[in-house]
Amino acid sequence: MSTDDLQDQGEDTHIDIADGVDHQVAMVMDLNKCIGCQTCTIACKTLWTEGGGRDYMYWNNVETKPGKGYPKGWEESAGGWESEEHTDRKPGEIHPKEEYGGDWEFNHSEIMYDGSDEPLRPQADPEWGPNWDEDEGAGEYPNSYYFYLPRICNHCTHPSCVEACPRKALYKREEDGIVLVDQERCRGYRYCVEGCPYDKVYYNAMTKKSEKCIFCYPRIEGEGPDDEVHATACAEECPPQLRLVGYLDDEDGPIYKLVEEYEVALPLHPEFETTPNVYYIPPYAPPQHSEDGESIQSIERIPREYLEELFGDRVHDALDTIERHRDRVRRGGESELMEILQDKNPAQQYRLEVFD
Amino acid sequence: MSDRHNANSRADDWTRSELAVAAVVVLAVGAAATLPSISSARPANEVPVESVGANASHPTAAAWSDIPAVTMALSSAPSGLPEASNVSVRSARLQAATNDTHAFFRVSWSDATADRNVTGPTAFFDAVAVQVPTNESARPPIAMGGTNNPVNVWYWSGDGASEELLAGGAGTTTPFDSRTVDARAAHENGSWHVAFTRELGGDANRTDLAVEQDVDVAVAVWNGSYEERAGRKAVSDWHYLALGPGPTGPPYQTILWAVAGLAVLFVAVVTIEGVRRTRGESA
Repeated sequence: MSTDDLQDQGEDTHIDIADGVDHQVAMVMDLNKCIGCQTCTIACKTLWTEGGGRDYMYWNNVETKPGKGYPKGWEESAGGWESEEHTDRKPGEIHPKEEYGGDWEFNHSEIMYDGSDEPLRPQADPEWGPNWDEDEGAGEYPNSYYFYLPRICNHCTHPSCVEACPRKALYKREEDGIVLVDQERCRGYRYCVEGCPYDKVYYNAMTKKSEKCIFCYPRIEGEGPDDEVHATACAEECPPQLRLVGYLDDEDGPIYKLVEEYEVALPLHPEFETTPNVYYIPPYAPPQHSEDGESIQSIERIPREYLEELFGDRVHDALDTIERHRDRVRRGGESELMEILQDKNPAQQYRLEVFD
Repeated sequence: MSDRHNANSRADDWTRSELAVAAVVVLAVGAAATLPSISSARPANEVPVESVGANASHPTAAAWSDIPAVTMALSSAPSGLPEASNVSVRSARLQAATNDTHAFFRVSWSDATADRNVTGPTAFFDAVAVQVPTNESARPPIAMGGTNNPVNVWYWSGDGASEELLAGGAGTTTPFDSRTVDARAAHENGSWHVAFTRELGGDANRTDLAVEQDVDVAVAVWNGSYEERAGRKAVSDWHYLALGPGPTGPPYQTILWAVAGLAVLFVAVVTIEGVRRTRGESA
């Protein structure tokens, strides 16, 4: 790291983890690597949300941005905190099931066993679903653009879902800050569902309780069949391996470096004031093209204003920092940041046993 | 002519006076007969507990038609939850009865939509709860009791589930290990009728209803169509189940009513006598 970088990063980085929490699990997702294949979505679904009233739930989903996402229009449904003081919450709203997408039946058996020539299609007339607006994006040809945004529960440092529950059924685990719904205490009131500004708590109408991403805690505890510690299923199954999983307060780990030192990994919608612990490397795109196909270096394809909407005003510094390091490596120099982002050291990708 | 006329007129006056006195006496007697029943009419927050030979566990059992209902005014609970003050049910009727072994309660309230199913994230069911103090002798805080003064809550929800809960303050409701409360419901002509049934006897955490004393009671109603759930609910103030022996001690009210009645009689007689003397009649 150069002296310049140290100055860029500011004098004192500090880690904001919740009171009473020993360590804070965290994840960094590099949006430049996401190919929208939904393998993470399916890995999560087959592990945690198959059936039992969970059909419509995708604790991990990947949506296309710009787009209305899953559930439809979640960014406009409020929730979270009024300010960084975390004294007053913003009232949110609960989306109807149709805005998540239904659990449609398909004509599998007709096609597979009855020799039907019909195309495979849902036996309903759905109007929305996860990643419904896939690849639509925005902009006009030849300068249209889109990127994928994988989302899980952010296991926030100031979780408004926890605050919203009148029964304290949601809590932040002391050992690692994972936010969980105590299924014994939950009475299905759904104040957490409307209180989460990321709409990442789901109501199970069959069990009449709310459920959410558990950061695969049995896997990171090594409680699986092989007694080995594993990263979350969404991370391990990812074909381009775009996720880093570890602890925010592991100062030797890549997450700490990306978030706290280089400040290139940013929380989604920081204005919700919940202080997420899932961070994103913002997307790069080629510059715009002129009508005759020439690159217009001065105009970015993905408007900065849009990225600012998603990641706050720190996105400018983050992208500038990445650009600077890319340049350095391009000119034959060295950059720890680029090495982290290129996963040159896979052993660093999942650091889950550092505090054992 | 004039004498006869006067004589006739005097005779008429006599008759009028006697009629007036008779009327006052009748009034006094009537008052004496009716006032005691007025003075012993139950207070507005008393819930009479009738004895029923039959089993009244069905919400439309014939027995309920003979059991007096108390109308309880409902208002929003100040729970601090979003939209807590926005509740829709304004009143509920409570009836209570016992037989040798069981206590029966029926709560009725108007709700045009029977919200029985929770089909998705935005659907909520109707619900009702009856709250009684765990310790029959001490009135707990109305909002789900207190840490040192818990309450029993019998809860029915539109999906047909009934629960027996213990609570020591908002957010602390905990189901008993084994449920002894049963609830059955009927929705008829735009009203819910929910009948709760429980054995009379209690234990350390269960309210004993086989007691010779009044026991506090309150109800709460949730309208699912209005997204009412948790602390967003319409609640009554504390009422009491009249399980005690009734009023005891000196009958102050009876004495006061008797004094008032005599005073009315005295004033009437004096007034009539005054009128007669003013007209020059000799007594």
